Amino acid sequence: MENPESSPLKAFGRNVYRSFFRYGRLPQDAEGQSYAVFNNLFLHIHPVKVSRHSLRFSYTLGLGVIATALFLVLTFTGIWLMFYYFPSATEAYGRMLDLRSAVDFGFVLRNVHKWGAELMVLVVILHMARVFFTGAYKPPREFNWLIGILLLLLTLGLSFTGYLLPWDQLAFWAITVGTSIAGYAPVLGQPMRRFLLGGDVVGQEALVRFYVLHVVILPGLLSIFLAVHFWRIRKDGGLSHPDDNDPPAKGGAR
Amino acid sequence: MKKKNVRMQQPQMDRRTFLTALGFGGVGLSAVIAAVGNLLYLKPAVDYGPPSVIRAGRPEEYKEGVKEMLEEQRVVVVRDKKGFAAISVTCTHLGCTVRTSDAGFECPCHGSQYDNDGYVTGGPAPRPLDWYQVSVAPNGELEIDKSVKVAPGTYFKA
Repeated sequence: MENPESSPLKAFGRNVYRSFFRYGRLPQDAEGQSYAVFNNLFLHIHPVKVSRHSLRFSYTLGLGVIATALFLVLTFTGIWLMFYYFPSATEAYGRMLDLRSAVDFGFVLRNVHKWGAELMVLVVILHMARVFFTGAYKPPREFNWLIGILLLLLTLGLSFTGYLLPWDQLAFWAITVGTSIAGYAPVLGQPMRRFLLGGDVVGQEALVRFYVLHVVILPGLLSIFLAVHFWRIRKDGGLSHPDDNDPPAKGGAR
Repeated sequence: MKKKNVRMQQPQMDRRTFLTALGFGGVGLSAVIAAVGNLLYLKPAVDYGPPSVIRAGRPEEYKEGVKEMLEEQRVVVVRDKKGFAAISVTCTHLGCTVRTSDAGFECPCHGSQYDNDGYVTGGPAPRPLDWYQVSVAPNGELEIDKSVKVAPGTYFKA
């Protein structure tokens, strides 16, 4: 009789399991817990140790995390919407109506994408306000504040480009007015407007340009700068906390 | 023959610095060229928009004193004693379509007001409505060229 412990299948299963959970499923000691966190791709953005202040919910209100979660939700619902949406001046509006009425759960995806987008703009602005009021824009975090401003602009850009895609009256006139406002900028205004619209009026060209910006270029840029944003949080010593504002010890650098 | 005493002049720049500058310069230059190329690629080269020359029917179809709105083409054809005129109904403020009003035209978006000749009488519009060139095509139809602007008050006599 073969020993069940040494069967090749069992060994294979154990190997697979060990390659996923190298430090046991729930390590109990501090060292094991640290290893488990920084050897996991999805957890390693966390520092091994955080300040007690960072954990107080009322300090951050979780706004950065909420904004990131919304971005993920918008990415996935957006990819799902792309299966039915078509950026064509004759098709787009009908496809949007079909998503609302005919496609199973289409209205859920569309509404989650739409309301999530509105919420993301709001949350990103609130996050910026939180960072301002807690003084987290001050050195050494001033570079990350600039990255944050870039992320705000990209969020607004995504919001603006996405607004045209339903191709209804609201979308058409909003973008007509919005790009006309851009056209008032000195010197660069009119060329910028033509670049955005691909012509002189909002039409098929504008729809394709806004679509490419909305589904590829702006989310791509936002992902890159989001990574830089997280990386800077770690490099700048985690979230801002009250000890930051204490005067540095005599003769010692902070 | 006496050998001439040639002393090498101390070079202004050593080889390493020169090659480094050359390398960075080359990379920088190609980056600039690539950027310009990409911008040119994105510049709209072909106009896929609506045609700028439109036909507006035969002149006899317009009675004197009429203001005929061509909604698709965003232009209003005016006929009065002085002749024909084609006035743009694109608001000069932010591009909405103006509608005809008792006093002339008004914009539903931000409340710009114009008189019958398209001059601004109120609201945020910065300049009068555009007037387009009107002529008669060889087949006798009125032809409006939206790419040629004429001074307000320029009428075409059919």
